[in-house]
Amino acid sequence: MTPIRPVPGPRDPQVGSLGAAAPRGAGCGSGPAAIQTSGLSKRYRAVSALTDCTITVPEGRITALIGPNGAGKTTLLRLFAGLAAPTAGELTVNGTAPRQDPAFLADIGFLAQEIPLYRRLSAADHIEAGAHLNPRWDGASVRERLTALHVPLDRAVGKLSGGQRAQVALALILAKEPRLLLLDEPVAALDPLARRNFLATLADAVAASGLTVVMSSHLVADLERVCDHIIMLASSRVQLCGDIEELLAEHQILVGPRKDITAIQRSHAVVQVTRTPRQVTLLVRGKGPVADPAFQASDVSLEELVLAYMGQDAPPALARLTTVGDGQ
Amino acid sequence: MTWLVWRQHRAQFYVGAAVLAALAVLLLVTGLQMASQWHSDLVACTATHSCHDQGGLFLGNRAIGFLVIMTLGAPVLVGLFWGAPLVAAELETGTSQFVWMQSVTRARWLAVKAGWMLLAAAVWGGIISALVTWWSGPNNALYLNGFNPGRFDIMGIVPVAYSVFAMALGIAAGALLHRTLPAMAVTLAGFIAARAVIALYLRPHYMTAVTAFYKLTGGGYTPPGSYWQLAQGVVGPNGQVLPQPNGAYADGVPMSYLPHSCAPLNGGATKVPPSCAQALAHFRGFITYQPADRYWTFQGIETGIFVALAAALIAITAVVLLRRDA
Amino acid sequence: MISFRVDSRSVVPPYLQIVQQVRQALRMGLLDVGDQLPTVREVVSATAINPNTVLKAYRDLEREGLVEARAGHGTFVLRRPPGPPPGTHSRLGRSLASWVREARDAGLDDESIESLLRVTLRTTAEEEIA
Repeated sequence: MTPIRPVPGPRDPQVGSLGAAAPRGAGCGSGPAAIQTSGLSKRYRAVSALTDCTITVPEGRITALIGPNGAGKTTLLRLFAGLAAPTAGELTVNGTAPRQDPAFLADIGFLAQEIPLYRRLSAADHIEAGAHLNPRWDGASVRERLTALHVPLDRAVGKLSGGQRAQVALALILAKEPRLLLLDEPVAALDPLARRNFLATLADAVAASGLTVVMSSHLVADLERVCDHIIMLASSRVQLCGDIEELLAEHQILVGPRKDITAIQRSHAVVQVTRTPRQVTLLVRGKGPVADPAFQASDVSLEELVLAYMGQDAPPALARLTTVGDGQ
Repeated sequence: MTWLVWRQHRAQFYVGAAVLAALAVLLLVTGLQMASQWHSDLVACTATHSCHDQGGLFLGNRAIGFLVIMTLGAPVLVGLFWGAPLVAAELETGTSQFVWMQSVTRARWLAVKAGWMLLAAAVWGGIISALVTWWSGPNNALYLNGFNPGRFDIMGIVPVAYSVFAMALGIAAGALLHRTLPAMAVTLAGFIAARAVIALYLRPHYMTAVTAFYKLTGGGYTPPGSYWQLAQGVVGPNGQVLPQPNGAYADGVPMSYLPHSCAPLNGGATKVPPSCAQALAHFRGFITYQPADRYWTFQGIETGIFVALAAALIAITAVVLLRRDA
Repeated sequence: MISFRVDSRSVVPPYLQIVQQVRQALRMGLLDVGDQLPTVREVVSATAINPNTVLKAYRDLEREGLVEARAGHGTFVLRRPPGPPPGTHSRLGRSLASWVREARDAGLDDESIESLLRVTLRTTAEEEIA
């Protein structure tokens, strides 16, 4: 039987190993959008950091931006913040294209990976600076938060621990009362306790004010708890975009004896196939149960889902790839 | 924004103020001594009608005199230590990403930071120049060398322009190179190059120099006041400039151009034989110079040049910072 | 006031863990009728989970009739979950045993049975809520 879905070319990263198309991000989410992009691209000389990204970041949700190092996460966040300009495509953040305008800047909080604060100034100095530089500023909230976390306000920020610095930076950003928060790997360098405190502070701020958060990471476990929306980047392109629960509900893992899987391919989109001499494992997308009784269905975890979409370019580690229809 | 500029740079300000205070103390104390010494000298020589013969008098302290000469380098210091790190350090450490994501635009950030720093540079250059100019009063009156290179550069209003230029150069280098140490190197090299080129090749030509010719016999010609000598020599009957004598000469003319009767003049004889005098009459001495009354015009022109350069550098900085990705 | 524990590694989704912990607390008497449930912010500060997760859990509990959200005041317990009628456990146990025998005869091993049970629990729970 010939496959109904078209066989992909060898270099198309959007397509699974055996002819299934991964949705490219149109219809990433429902409801009002804090950020919308269309065909967004960014090139640095010969290198393409982002290629043709079309996504929506829903308002009031916490969105995870996942991808391996070098996938373009930092670039995307910088484009959102207006720190860099796109080379192609369109971008709308909080209703306008990012621009040098105090009102636009006041609505955005950006936390770079290195947590850039003035190392020789204290937290109290930063609070004072913020009061002078922002139209809305809740300095008292910073003091409250930091005091509750036992972070000294008068010590030079460079002398604080990594976790304390991250909390200072987060508190300062929240004091601006922004509508949108962009965080670049904020918990990557933190120990588990500091990580927990940071995420708890973040979740609490979202609960209090309904702000929109986009948080990047290359660790899935960090984000599962606190994020309800996901954008996945790999090789400078968007691989996956949508509500986490919906995506998990739409995907399942099928395990069965090695045989022809074209029947399954007709009803479901196959994202990844792994074959061993005795069995085949499929990760498929599509609503509705699988008709073939030889296959056992089970839930997919977020980590498996992310790995599957990230690994579409790479050959499977432990299996030999064979052609469709081979053996039974 | 001004608060942040102050808070970030107040240590630098304190150091600068301390240096200026120390310099002020040194120059005020020695300057007052010099002035009183000069005054009593004047009184003494007026009484004996020998005031034209004071060339050997040395006023002041050698060490302080050396320090005053070293203020030639004072303008570049603000460029190196205040200007180069201003933008570069923020780009290097990434704090630019912090401050540019507060609700202040990059344009305003640069305008306030650079504005205060340029003003500080001007104040730095102005205070040092005022102190040095005042201190040098007696020396200038005695030696009439205020217009000469080396002294022209440390007095009047040009040190203000040099300081502002050095600051602008440091800021621009930092913004273009993104790193403090390379920016400092470029600032130093650029400052020296600009100052050298302008002082050596442009300044002599701000206005067309005056050339005065005079008879060789009769004691020569000295222009009045603090003039700036550019060239001096002897011209022959056809107007050609004679080479500097490096052998026997009489009254500045090489012996090869003169009859034998002039030979005794080389030995120091003062009586000029008539045939020699006749031959010498064909030669004239000349001095090319900028007159003393052009001093402030030249100060103004050089100030204008460096301020214009500073403005161009700041404009370049603005374009680079506002257009490029952060 | 009860506190929640959310285990990211569990197969049970976080919102369902909260629902279960509320029901458990009600059964065990830790929560009584009229008590206030922790606010969304309190839960979120303690567990670092998404606020929408807590909202969803509280909404489910409200739909079941166990709690009531009063605007501006918080979420309060309305009643205890009803226990099963007497004899239910033994009756269900017997029909479960016959089903298990049928499954084993069909060739399912224990692991497949457990997996099938888990998936069925989840999908039926979601159907009830939907």
